[in-house]
Amino acid sequence: MTTVLKLFLSFLCATICHWALMTVFGEIGVTVNIMLIFSMVVCAYLKPEYGYPTAFLGGLFLDFFGVKLFGCHAFIFTLCACAVYGMEKRLDMDGIIPQIISIFFLSLAASLFNFLLLKVFTGFSAWGGFWPFIGGITLNAALAPFVFRVLRHVFAIERKMS
Amino acid sequence: MQRKNKRKNNFSHGSRRRKILPVVFLLFSLLLMVLPLESPVASVKAMLSYIFIPQIRAAHTTVEYGGEVSQTVRSLLNVHQENERLKEEMERLRLENAQAKEIFSENERLTHSLQLKAPKGWQGIWAKTAYREPTQWNSVIIDKGCSDGIEERAAAVALKGQTPVLMGVVIECAENTAKVLLLQDEDFSAAVYALPSEEEGLLVGGSNGSLLKMQYLSVLSELQEGEKVYTSASSSIFPAGILVGEVESVEKEPEYATAPFAKVAAAADSSLVRELFILVREEMKK
Repeated sequence: MTTVLKLFLSFLCATICHWALMTVFGEIGVTVNIMLIFSMVVCAYLKPEYGYPTAFLGGLFLDFFGVKLFGCHAFIFTLCACAVYGMEKRLDMDGIIPQIISIFFLSLAASLFNFLLLKVFTGFSAWGGFWPFIGGITLNAALAPFVFRVLRHVFAIERKMS
Repeated sequence: MQRKNKRKNNFSHGSRRRKILPVVFLLFSLLLMVLPLESPVASVKAMLSYIFIPQIRAAHTTVEYGGEVSQTVRSLLNVHQENERLKEEMERLRLENAQAKEIFSENERLTHSLQLKAPKGWQGIWAKTAYREPTQWNSVIIDKGCSDGIEERAAAVALKGQTPVLMGVVIECAENTAKVLLLQDEDFSAAVYALPSEEEGLLVGGSNGSLLKMQYLSVLSELQEGEKVYTSASSSIFPAGILVGEVESVEKEPEYATAPFAKVAAAADSSLVRELFILVREEMKK
Protein backbone atom coordinates (compact mmCIF):
# COMPACT_ATOMS: atom_id res chain seq x y z
CA MET A 1 0.00 0.00 0.00
CA THR A 2 2.86 2.29 0.88
CA THR A 3 4.45 1.58 -2.46
CA VAL A 4 1.24 2.46 -4.29
CA LEU A 5 0.95 5.70 -2.39
CA LYS A 6 4.61 6.54 -2.99
CA LEU A 7 4.19 5.64 -6.63
CA PHE A 8 1.12 7.80 -6.98
CA LEU A 9 2.79 10.80 -5.35
CA SER A 10 6.00 10.39 -7.31
CA PHE A 11 3.94 10.06 -10.50
CA LEU A 12 2.28 13.39 -9.71
CA CYS A 13 5.68 14.98 -9.08
CA ALA A 14 7.01 13.49 -12.32
CA THR A 15 4.15 14.98 -14.35
CA ILE A 16 4.80 18.38 -12.79
CA CYS A 17 8.54 18.09 -13.45
CA HIS A 18 7.89 16.90 -16.98
CA TRP A 19 5.70 19.87 -17.79
CA ALA A 20 7.96 22.34 -16.05
CA LEU A 21 11.12 21.09 -17.80
CA MET A 22 9.28 20.90 -21.11
CA THR A 23 8.44 24.57 -20.69
CA VAL A 24 11.98 25.53 -19.71
CA PHE A 25 13.86 23.49 -22.34
CA GLY A 26 11.19 24.10 -24.95
CA GLU A 27 12.52 27.64 -25.17
CA ILE A 28 15.78 26.31 -26.61
CA GLY A 29 14.03 23.78 -28.82
CA VAL A 30 14.91 20.66 -26.82
CA THR A 31 12.20 18.20 -25.75
CA VAL A 32 12.97 16.48 -22.51
CA ASN A 33 10.88 13.40 -21.60
CA ILE A 34 10.83 13.06 -17.84
CA MET A 35 7.81 10.74 -17.98
CA LEU A 36 9.78 8.20 -19.99
CA ILE A 37 12.72 8.35 -17.57
CA PHE A 38 10.39 8.10 -14.61
CA SER A 39 8.50 5.11 -16.03
CA MET A 40 11.71 3.30 -16.92
CA VAL A 41 13.25 3.93 -13.51
CA VAL A 42 10.10 2.62 -11.84
CA CYS A 43 10.34 -0.47 -14.03
CA ALA A 44 14.00 -0.85 -13.09
CA TYR A 45 13.30 -0.70 -9.36
CA LEU A 46 9.80 -2.10 -8.88
CA LYS A 47 7.91 -5.23 -9.78
CA PRO A 48 6.03 -5.49 -13.08
CA GLU A 49 2.71 -5.05 -11.23
CA TYR A 50 3.83 -1.47 -10.60
CA GLY A 51 6.08 -0.94 -13.58
CA TYR A 52 3.71 -1.72 -16.45
CA PRO A 53 0.77 0.36 -15.21
CA THR A 54 3.15 3.23 -14.51
CA ALA A 55 4.62 3.05 -18.00
CA PHE A 56 1.17 2.79 -19.54
CA LEU A 57 -0.24 5.70 -17.54
CA GLY A 58 2.90 7.75 -18.15
CA GLY A 59 2.43 7.26 -21.86
CA LEU A 60 -1.24 8.02 -21.59
CA PHE A 61 -0.35 11.27 -19.85
CA LEU A 62 1.66 12.30 -22.90
CA ASP A 63 -1.08 11.10 -25.23
CA PHE A 64 -3.54 13.20 -23.35
CA PHE A 65 -1.75 16.31 -24.58
CA GLY A 66 -1.09 14.95 -28.07
CA VAL A 67 -3.52 15.64 -30.87
CA LYS A 68 -2.47 13.16 -33.51
CA LEU A 69 -2.48 9.61 -32.24
CA PHE A 70 -4.02 8.73 -28.92
CA GLY A 71 -2.41 5.68 -27.30
CA CYS A 72 0.87 6.00 -29.18
CA HIS A 73 2.99 6.93 -26.18
CA ALA A 74 1.18 4.40 -23.97
CA PHE A 75 2.11 1.72 -26.48
CA ILE A 76 5.72 2.81 -26.75
CA PHE A 77 6.18 3.20 -23.00
CA THR A 78 4.75 -0.29 -22.42
CA LEU A 79 7.16 -1.66 -25.00
CA CYS A 80 10.05 0.16 -23.30
CA ALA A 81 8.91 -1.29 -19.98
CA CYS A 82 9.05 -4.74 -21.56
CA ALA A 83 12.60 -3.98 -22.68
CA VAL A 84 13.62 -2.89 -19.19
CA TYR A 85 12.17 -6.01 -17.57
CA GLY A 86 13.75 -8.07 -20.31
CA MET A 87 17.27 -6.82 -19.63
CA GLU A 88 17.03 -6.27 -15.89
CA LYS A 89 19.22 -9.25 -15.11
CA ARG A 90 21.86 -8.21 -17.61
CA LEU A 91 22.24 -4.62 -16.48
CA ASP A 92 23.39 -3.21 -13.17
CA MET A 93 21.06 -0.26 -12.80
CA ASP A 94 22.90 1.05 -9.75
CA GLY A 95 25.77 2.35 -11.84
CA ILE A 96 25.56 5.80 -13.35
CA ILE A 97 26.96 4.77 -16.72
CA PRO A 98 24.46 1.91 -17.28
CA GLN A 99 21.68 4.28 -16.21
CA ILE A 100 22.76 6.89 -18.74
CA ILE A 101 23.30 4.37 -21.54
CA SER A 102 20.04 2.52 -20.97
CA ILE A 103 17.98 5.72 -20.87
CA PHE A 104 19.82 7.07 -23.89
CA PHE A 105 18.97 4.03 -26.00
CA LEU A 106 15.43 3.75 -24.62
CA SER A 107 14.81 7.42 -25.46
CA LEU A 108 16.29 6.90 -28.89
CA ALA A 109 14.12 3.86 -29.52
CA ALA A 110 11.01 5.56 -28.12
CA SER A 111 11.51 8.64 -30.29
CA LEU A 112 12.15 6.63 -33.45
CA PHE A 113 9.18 4.40 -32.73
CA ASN A 114 7.05 7.44 -32.09
CA PHE A 115 8.02 8.88 -35.50
CA LEU A 116 7.30 5.54 -37.10
CA LEU A 117 3.87 5.08 -35.51
CA LEU A 118 2.84 8.62 -36.34
CA LYS A 119 3.95 8.17 -39.94
CA VAL A 120 2.19 4.83 -40.27
CA PHE A 121 -1.09 5.71 -38.59
CA THR A 122 -1.48 9.36 -39.43
CA GLY A 123 1.03 10.08 -42.20
CA PHE A 124 2.32 12.93 -40.09
CA SER A 125 6.06 13.49 -39.72
CA ALA A 126 7.06 14.65 -36.25
CA TRP A 127 10.72 15.09 -37.20
CA GLY A 128 11.83 18.44 -35.79
CA GLY A 129 15.46 18.35 -36.87
CA PHE A 130 18.58 16.49 -35.86
CA TRP A 131 19.80 18.72 -33.04
CA PRO A 132 16.49 18.96 -31.14
CA PHE A 133 16.18 15.20 -31.55
CA ILE A 134 19.66 14.34 -30.32
CA GLY A 135 19.52 17.13 -27.73
CA GLY A 136 16.33 15.73 -26.19
CA ILE A 137 17.75 12.20 -26.03
CA THR A 138 21.05 13.41 -24.54
CA LEU A 139 19.24 15.52 -22.00
CA ASN A 140 17.10 12.53 -21.00
CA ALA A 141 20.24 10.48 -20.55
CA ALA A 142 21.90 13.24 -18.54
CA LEU A 143 18.90 13.57 -16.22
CA ALA A 144 18.54 9.83 -15.75
CA PRO A 145 21.04 9.39 -12.87
CA PHE A 146 19.27 12.11 -10.93
CA VAL A 147 15.85 10.44 -11.38
CA PHE A 148 17.36 7.07 -10.50
CA ARG A 149 18.85 8.53 -7.35
CA VAL A 150 15.64 10.21 -6.26
CA LEU A 151 13.45 7.16 -6.87
CA ARG A 152 15.97 4.82 -5.28
CA HIS A 153 15.74 6.98 -2.22
CA VAL A 154 11.92 7.01 -2.37
CA PHE A 155 11.54 3.27 -2.95
CA ALA A 156 14.56 2.15 -0.97
CA ILE A 157 12.56 -0.40 1.03
CA GLU A 158 10.73 -1.71 -1.96
CA ARG A 159 13.75 -2.20 -4.11
CA LYS A 160 13.27 -5.18 -6.38
CA MET A 161 16.91 -6.24 -6.40
CA SER A 162 17.28 -6.39 -2.64
CA MET B 1 -2.72 -35.58 -16.78
CA GLN B 2 -0.96 -35.53 -13.40
CA ARG B 3 2.14 -34.11 -15.04
CA LYS B 4 0.04 -31.43 -16.68
CA ASN B 5 -1.49 -30.36 -13.36
CA LYS B 6 1.93 -30.28 -11.76
CA ARG B 7 3.22 -28.00 -14.47
CA LYS B 8 0.18 -25.79 -14.00
CA ASN B 9 0.89 -25.43 -10.30
CA ASN B 10 4.50 -24.60 -11.01
CA PHE B 11 3.46 -21.76 -13.26
CA SER B 12 3.85 -19.07 -10.70
CA HIS B 13 1.22 -16.52 -10.13
CA GLY B 14 3.72 -13.62 -10.46
CA SER B 15 5.22 -14.85 -13.67
CA ARG B 16 1.75 -15.16 -15.24
CA ARG B 17 0.92 -11.64 -14.26
CA ARG B 18 4.28 -10.53 -15.59
CA LYS B 19 3.38 -11.85 -19.00
CA ILE B 20 -0.25 -10.84 -19.04
CA LEU B 21 0.16 -7.23 -17.95
CA PRO B 22 2.25 -5.96 -20.86
CA VAL B 23 0.09 -7.82 -23.33
CA VAL B 24 -3.05 -6.24 -21.91
CA PHE B 25 -1.55 -2.77 -21.93
CA LEU B 26 -0.08 -3.17 -25.40
CA LEU B 27 -3.36 -4.44 -26.78
CA PHE B 28 -5.30 -1.70 -25.09
CA SER B 29 -3.02 1.04 -26.38
CA LEU B 30 -3.03 -0.52 -29.83
CA LEU B 31 -6.80 -0.50 -29.79
CA LEU B 32 -6.76 3.14 -28.78
CA MET B 33 -4.57 3.87 -31.77
CA VAL B 34 -6.25 1.67 -34.34
CA LEU B 35 -9.94 1.68 -33.66
CA PRO B 36 -12.08 4.59 -34.70
CA LEU B 37 -12.76 5.56 -31.13
CA GLU B 38 -13.11 9.26 -31.48
CA SER B 39 -15.99 9.66 -29.09
CA PRO B 40 -14.79 7.10 -26.47
CA VAL B 41 -11.29 8.58 -26.70
CA ALA B 42 -12.75 12.01 -26.19
CA SER B 43 -14.54 10.66 -23.13
CA VAL B 44 -11.32 9.13 -21.83
CA LYS B 45 -9.51 12.39 -22.44
CA ALA B 46 -12.24 14.30 -20.64
CA MET B 47 -11.92 11.92 -17.70
CA LEU B 48 -8.14 12.19 -17.70
CA SER B 49 -8.34 15.95 -17.79
CA TYR B 50 -9.71 15.82 -14.23
CA ILE B 51 -6.53 14.04 -13.19
CA PHE B 52 -3.92 15.79 -15.29
CA ILE B 53 -5.08 19.39 -15.58
CA PRO B 54 -4.43 20.25 -11.89
CA GLN B 55 -0.92 18.88 -12.28
CA ILE B 56 -0.35 20.98 -15.34
CA ARG B 57 -1.54 24.00 -13.44
CA ALA B 58 0.85 23.12 -10.63
CA ALA B 59 3.67 22.73 -13.16
CA HIS B 60 2.81 26.06 -14.72
CA THR B 61 2.75 27.71 -11.32
CA THR B 62 6.12 26.14 -10.51
CA VAL B 63 7.66 27.37 -13.75
CA GLU B 64 6.18 30.83 -13.32
CA TYR B 65 7.38 30.93 -9.73
CA GLY B 66 10.82 29.80 -10.85
CA GLY B 67 10.78 32.47 -13.54
CA GLU B 68 9.76 35.07 -11.01
CA VAL B 69 12.51 33.94 -8.65
CA SER B 70 15.14 34.29 -11.36
CA GLN B 71 13.66 37.63 -12.36
CA THR B 72 13.65 38.72 -8.72
CA VAL B 73 17.27 37.64 -8.32
CA ARG B 74 18.14 39.43 -11.57
CA SER B 75 16.34 42.56 -10.46
CA LEU B 76 18.08 42.35 -7.06
CA LEU B 77 21.42 42.15 -8.84
CA ASN B 78 20.33 45.06 -10.99
CA VAL B 79 19.31 46.95 -7.87
CA HIS B 80 22.82 46.46 -6.51
CA GLN B 81 24.35 47.74 -9.74
CA GLU B 82 21.84 50.58 -9.90
CA ASN B 83 22.61 51.42 -6.29
CA GLU B 84 26.31 51.64 -7.13
CA ARG B 85 25.56 53.76 -10.17
CA LEU B 86 23.29 56.06 -8.17
CA LYS B 87 25.92 56.40 -5.48
CA GLU B 88 28.43 57.46 -8.10
CA GLU B 89 25.91 59.84 -9.62
CA MET B 90 25.11 61.24 -6.19
CA GLU B 91 28.79 61.79 -5.55
CA ARG B 92 29.13 63.52 -8.92
CA LEU B 93 26.07 65.67 -8.21
CA ARG B 94 27.44 66.55 -4.80
CA LEU B 95 30.63 67.75 -6.44
CA GLU B 96 28.67 69.64 -9.06
CA ASN B 97 26.53 71.17 -6.36
CA ALA B 98 29.62 72.29 -4.46
CA GLN B 99 31.02 73.74 -7.67
CA ALA B 100 27.72 75.46 -8.39
CA LYS B 101 27.68 76.94 -4.89
CA GLU B 102 31.22 78.15 -5.36
CA ILE B 103 30.35 79.67 -8.72
CA PHE B 104 27.26 81.27 -7.24
CA SER B 105 29.16 82.86 -4.39
CA GLU B 106 31.90 83.94 -6.78
CA ASN B 107 29.27 85.48 -9.01
CA GLU B 108 27.85 87.32 -6.03
CA ARG B 109 31.27 88.58 -5.02
CA LEU B 110 32.09 89.67 -8.54
CA THR B 111 28.78 91.47 -8.85
CA HIS B 112 29.69 93.48 -5.77
CA SER B 113 33.20 93.91 -7.09
CA LEU B 114 31.93 95.57 -10.22
CA GLN B 115 30.71 98.40 -8.06
CA LEU B 116 34.24 99.03 -6.81
CA LYS B 117 36.03 101.76 -8.67
CA ALA B 118 39.63 102.85 -8.37
CA PRO B 119 40.20 106.25 -6.72
CA LYS B 120 41.27 109.13 -8.89
CA GLY B 121 44.89 108.84 -9.95
CA TRP B 122 44.87 105.07 -9.45
CA GLN B 123 44.30 102.24 -11.83
CA GLY B 124 42.45 99.13 -10.63
CA ILE B 125 43.07 95.59 -11.87
CA TRP B 126 41.01 92.65 -10.70
CA ALA B 127 42.93 89.48 -9.99
CA LYS B 128 42.12 86.07 -8.55
CA THR B 129 44.13 84.34 -5.89
CA ALA B 130 45.76 81.53 -7.80
CA TYR B 131 47.92 79.95 -5.20
CA ARG B 132 48.55 80.21 -1.52
CA GLU B 133 51.78 78.87 -0.13
CA PRO B 134 50.95 76.26 2.48
CA THR B 135 53.79 77.33 4.76
CA GLN B 136 53.34 81.03 4.18
CA TRP B 137 49.76 81.99 4.91
CA ASN B 138 50.62 85.65 4.99
CA SER B 139 51.10 85.90 1.26
CA VAL B 140 49.12 84.90 -1.81
CA ILE B 141 49.95 84.62 -5.46
CA ILE B 142 47.53 86.21 -7.87
CA ASP B 143 46.82 85.33 -11.49
CA LYS B 144 47.80 88.69 -12.91
CA GLY B 145 51.30 90.03 -13.31
CA CYS B 146 53.41 92.72 -14.91
CA SER B 147 51.94 92.02 -18.33
CA ASP B 148 48.56 93.01 -16.92
CA GLY B 149 49.86 96.30 -15.54
CA ILE B 150 50.56 95.20 -12.00
CA GLU B 151 53.73 96.53 -10.40
CA GLU B 152 55.59 96.03 -7.18
CA ARG B 153 54.36 98.04 -4.19
CA ALA B 154 50.86 98.18 -5.64
CA ALA B 155 48.05 98.07 -3.07
CA ALA B 156 45.83 94.99 -2.81
CA VAL B 157 42.25 95.62 -1.79
CA ALA B 158 39.37 93.21 -1.29
CA LEU B 159 35.67 93.61 -0.73
CA LYS B 160 34.05 92.84 2.56
CA GLY B 161 30.42 92.96 1.78
CA GLN B 162 30.39 96.13 -0.25
CA THR B 163 33.19 97.86 1.60
CA PRO B 164 36.70 97.85 0.18
CA VAL B 165 39.24 96.74 2.75
CA LEU B 166 43.02 96.71 2.63
CA MET B 167 44.50 93.25 2.09
CA GLY B 168 48.19 93.81 1.46
CA VAL B 169 50.83 94.96 -0.95
CA VAL B 170 52.39 93.46 -4.06
CA ILE B 171 55.94 92.50 -3.23
CA GLU B 172 56.95 90.47 -6.27
CA CYS B 173 55.76 90.76 -9.82
CA ALA B 174 56.32 88.18 -12.54
CA GLU B 175 55.09 88.17 -16.13
CA ASN B 176 51.71 86.63 -15.39
CA THR B 177 51.60 86.35 -11.62
CA ALA B 178 52.34 88.50 -8.63
CA LYS B 179 52.89 87.88 -4.94
CA VAL B 180 50.89 89.88 -2.44
CA LEU B 181 52.11 90.28 1.12
CA LEU B 182 49.06 90.33 3.34
CA LEU B 183 48.77 92.87 6.11
CA GLN B 184 48.89 90.10 8.72
CA ASP B 185 52.57 89.59 7.96
CA GLU B 186 54.95 91.26 10.38
CA ASP B 187 56.94 92.77 7.48
CA PHE B 188 53.89 94.69 6.34
CA SER B 189 53.57 98.36 7.23
CA ALA B 190 51.32 101.22 6.16
CA ALA B 191 50.59 104.76 7.25
CA VAL B 192 47.09 104.85 8.72
CA TYR B 193 44.76 107.07 10.68
CA ALA B 194 41.79 106.35 12.92
CA LEU B 195 38.42 107.94 12.91
CA PRO B 196 36.94 109.85 14.59
CA SER B 197 40.02 110.71 16.66
CA GLU B 198 42.03 111.39 13.44
CA GLU B 199 45.03 109.92 15.17
CA GLU B 200 47.76 108.92 12.72
CA GLY B 201 50.28 106.14 13.11
CA LEU B 202 52.14 103.35 11.41
CA LEU B 203 50.36 100.06 11.09
CA VAL B 204 52.54 96.96 11.15
CA GLY B 205 51.55 93.34 10.78
CA GLY B 206 51.21 91.13 13.80
CA SER B 207 53.46 88.18 14.29
CA ASN B 208 52.11 84.64 14.50
CA GLY B 209 48.55 85.61 13.74
CA SER B 210 48.24 88.19 16.46
CA LEU B 211 46.48 91.51 16.00
CA LEU B 212 47.97 94.33 13.91
CA LYS B 213 49.81 97.03 15.72
CA MET B 214 49.32 100.78 15.23
CA GLN B 215 52.52 102.45 16.38
CA TYR B 216 53.94 105.92 16.85
CA LEU B 217 50.81 107.42 18.29
CA SER B 218 51.14 110.77 19.93
CA VAL B 219 51.65 110.82 23.64
CA LEU B 220 48.40 112.65 24.14
CA SER B 221 46.53 110.36 21.85
CA GLU B 222 42.77 110.23 22.29
CA LEU B 223 42.44 107.03 20.34
CA GLN B 224 39.58 104.89 21.60
CA GLU B 225 38.59 101.28 21.25
CA GLY B 226 36.27 100.56 18.35
CA GLU B 227 37.60 103.33 16.14
CA LYS B 228 37.93 102.48 12.45
CA VAL B 229 41.40 102.57 10.98
CA TYR B 230 41.94 103.75 7.37
CA THR B 231 44.92 104.14 5.09
CA SER B 232 46.43 107.58 5.28
CA ALA B 233 46.94 110.04 2.43
CA SER B 234 50.55 110.38 3.54
CA SER B 235 51.22 106.86 2.28
CA SER B 236 52.69 106.74 -1.17
CA ILE B 237 51.70 103.12 -1.68
CA PHE B 238 48.06 103.03 -0.65
CA PRO B 239 45.25 105.35 -1.65
CA ALA B 240 43.77 107.20 1.29
CA GLY B 241 40.58 106.13 3.04
CA ILE B 242 40.69 102.37 2.58
CA LEU B 243 39.41 100.54 5.63
CA VAL B 244 42.12 98.55 7.38
CA GLY B 245 40.51 97.43 10.61
CA GLU B 246 39.18 98.39 14.00
CA VAL B 247 40.97 99.37 17.19
CA GLU B 248 40.74 96.57 19.72
CA SER B 249 42.67 98.19 22.51
CA VAL B 250 45.00 101.11 23.24
CA GLU B 251 48.03 100.19 25.32
CA LYS B 252 51.35 101.63 26.42
CA GLU B 253 54.73 100.22 25.50
CA PRO B 254 56.09 98.38 28.53
CA GLU B 255 59.57 99.87 27.99
CA TYR B 256 58.48 103.39 27.18
CA ALA B 257 55.32 103.95 29.14
CA THR B 258 54.81 107.31 27.51
CA ALA B 259 54.47 105.86 23.97
CA PRO B 260 51.05 104.39 23.44
CA PHE B 261 50.14 101.96 20.69
CA ALA B 262 46.89 100.33 19.53
CA LYS B 263 46.02 96.77 18.70
CA VAL B 264 44.00 96.64 15.53
CA ALA B 265 41.87 93.78 14.25
CA ALA B 266 42.10 93.50 10.47
CA ALA B 267 38.84 94.12 8.66
CA ALA B 268 39.43 91.36 6.13
CA ASP B 269 39.90 87.69 6.79
CA SER B 270 42.89 86.83 4.64
CA SER B 271 42.00 83.14 4.54
CA LEU B 272 38.75 83.87 2.73
CA VAL B 273 40.15 86.17 0.08
CA ARG B 274 39.34 85.02 -3.47
CA GLU B 275 39.65 88.15 -5.60
CA LEU B 276 41.86 91.13 -5.10
CA PHE B 277 41.58 94.58 -6.57
CA ILE B 278 45.11 95.73 -7.25
CA LEU B 279 45.50 99.50 -7.21
CA VAL B 280 48.46 100.89 -9.14
CA ARG B 281 49.30 104.55 -8.97
CA GLU B 282 49.09 105.97 -12.45
CA GLU B 283 52.16 108.12 -11.85
CA MET B 284 54.03 104.97 -10.97
CA LYS B 285 53.12 103.50 -14.33
CA LYS B 286 54.40 106.51 -16.16
